[in-house]
Amino acid sequence: MVAFRSTDTSGRTTGLLLRCVLYSLLALGLIIVDKRYDHLGKIRRVLSIVAYPVQIAVASPFEGWDWFRENVSSRAALRADKTKLEAELRLAQFRLQRYEALEAESQRLRSLRDNTAGVADRFVVGDIMDVDLDAFRERVLVDKGAQDGVFVGQAVLDAGGVFGQVARVGQLTAEVILVSDATHAIPVQINRNGLRTIAVGTGDMGRLKLPYLPTSADVVAGDLLVTSGLGGGFPAGYPVGTVAEVKRDPAQSLADVDVKPAAALDRSRELMFVWLKPQPAASIAPSGPVQPAAPKPGAAAPSPSGTQPPRAPAAPAAPTAAQPRAPAASAAPAKVPPPAGGNDE
Amino acid sequence: MMRDTRIRRLPMALSALVALALAVLPVPQVLETFRPDFLVLVVFYWSIESPRAGGLTLAFMAGLALDVIQGVVLGQHALALTLMAAWATHLRLRLRVFSVLSQCLTIFALLTGYQFVLFWVDGATGNPVTTFGRWLAPVIGALLWPLLIAALSRLHER
Repeated sequence: MVAFRSTDTSGRTTGLLLRCVLYSLLALGLIIVDKRYDHLGKIRRVLSIVAYPVQIAVASPFEGWDWFRENVSSRAALRADKTKLEAELRLAQFRLQRYEALEAESQRLRSLRDNTAGVADRFVVGDIMDVDLDAFRERVLVDKGAQDGVFVGQAVLDAGGVFGQVARVGQLTAEVILVSDATHAIPVQINRNGLRTIAVGTGDMGRLKLPYLPTSADVVAGDLLVTSGLGGGFPAGYPVGTVAEVKRDPAQSLADVDVKPAAALDRSRELMFVWLKPQPAASIAPSGPVQPAAPKPGAAAPSPSGTQPPRAPAAPAAPTAAQPRAPAASAAPAKVPPPAGGNDE
Repeated sequence: MMRDTRIRRLPMALSALVALALAVLPVPQVLETFRPDFLVLVVFYWSIESPRAGGLTLAFMAGLALDVIQGVVLGQHALALTLMAAWATHLRLRLRVFSVLSQCLTIFALLTGYQFVLFWVDGATGNPVTTFGRWLAPVIGALLWPLLIAALSRLHER
């Protein structure tokens, strides 16, 4: 029955107040130090090793069940799987045929413009651990950590597109913050016309927002959003999502745009950590000096617009925009073709 | 008395570990919001049942473990849990003679206070969680309290 069985009924608990104050001050101190300074990273890393057994213990039954199911799956199912995978592989290889050529072309264009949008260099695959973190923040725990070279701010992809970035690194584990987290934002551009903006998470795994587009912006449902590579955190040209709905209220100055994420945020098991190829200069600096020179050489200016024709119907605005507009605006169309080609072919 | 406290430490640590595992056990997204704070309830139980066997130290350590596992600001859960465990210890003699209903209400107040401290630290460190879902946990925790006492006192009896 509901009863306390304790015989410890003496009213006094010696120094309860003192200990309470002491521990509270200690906790407050920890909060302040952790927030203000970054010295606690090591302590946290050590503590995360202590927490690892608990996380493993919780995750292992689920992994065991997966393993069991995998091992007892029937021959027919395996064969069906194999045929499906082979078909997918054929398709992927077919798509890859032009990849080398496109990559080379993209490199050439980039070097022409001295563009610094990051290019993915190295990938490491990590597994999501079956552990729930905070219920109100979109984060997952992955079984790769500092010992595998993972660092804070690193871009994380899955098979569908951009998944998120590394928020915290432990010795053996890393915490990845999803693109759909309410505190996450990622620089993107619309693949169709190169319009750049920022996609912000909503706290809902199936939805992102584009809160900074004016009502008049050229965006329609179905537009593909790719990473713009600006800011240097994410490699350029990876799909982030597709525009699901555009609501334009004439009374507002900003449009209300919903985006469906490209990554399977709630279903993925394997994630890829991406290392960017080191690039010589910062992303903002070169676009300044290059721009004034662009009209003069003639060779540099036509080439970006020259890659546009394949998608001519949408392009008419681009050549005109390239000349008179501000430097920032004309930098955008030049950056579009490589990712556009890479994704569409 | 010395022997008494020594005996009590094992079930205490054991139940805390199980509660910690329950706190990170993966559940479907829909149920996620309804997950009660198991570890907090266990800490409350032990600070009411036998505060001398290390009630506040347990509270602080459990809070720190939650901080590390959930990846929030270090010290957040530790602070909330320490304060509320101290309050529970303070109320413990009264709590023991309360009826089940009054006990649940008191626990509800303690859990709400706990969530409030978390909420406050979240806001103060610049990433507030403003969904109403977080205020659901105290209700569920309070409803679970009688079950938890029954289970833990059985463990305690051994």
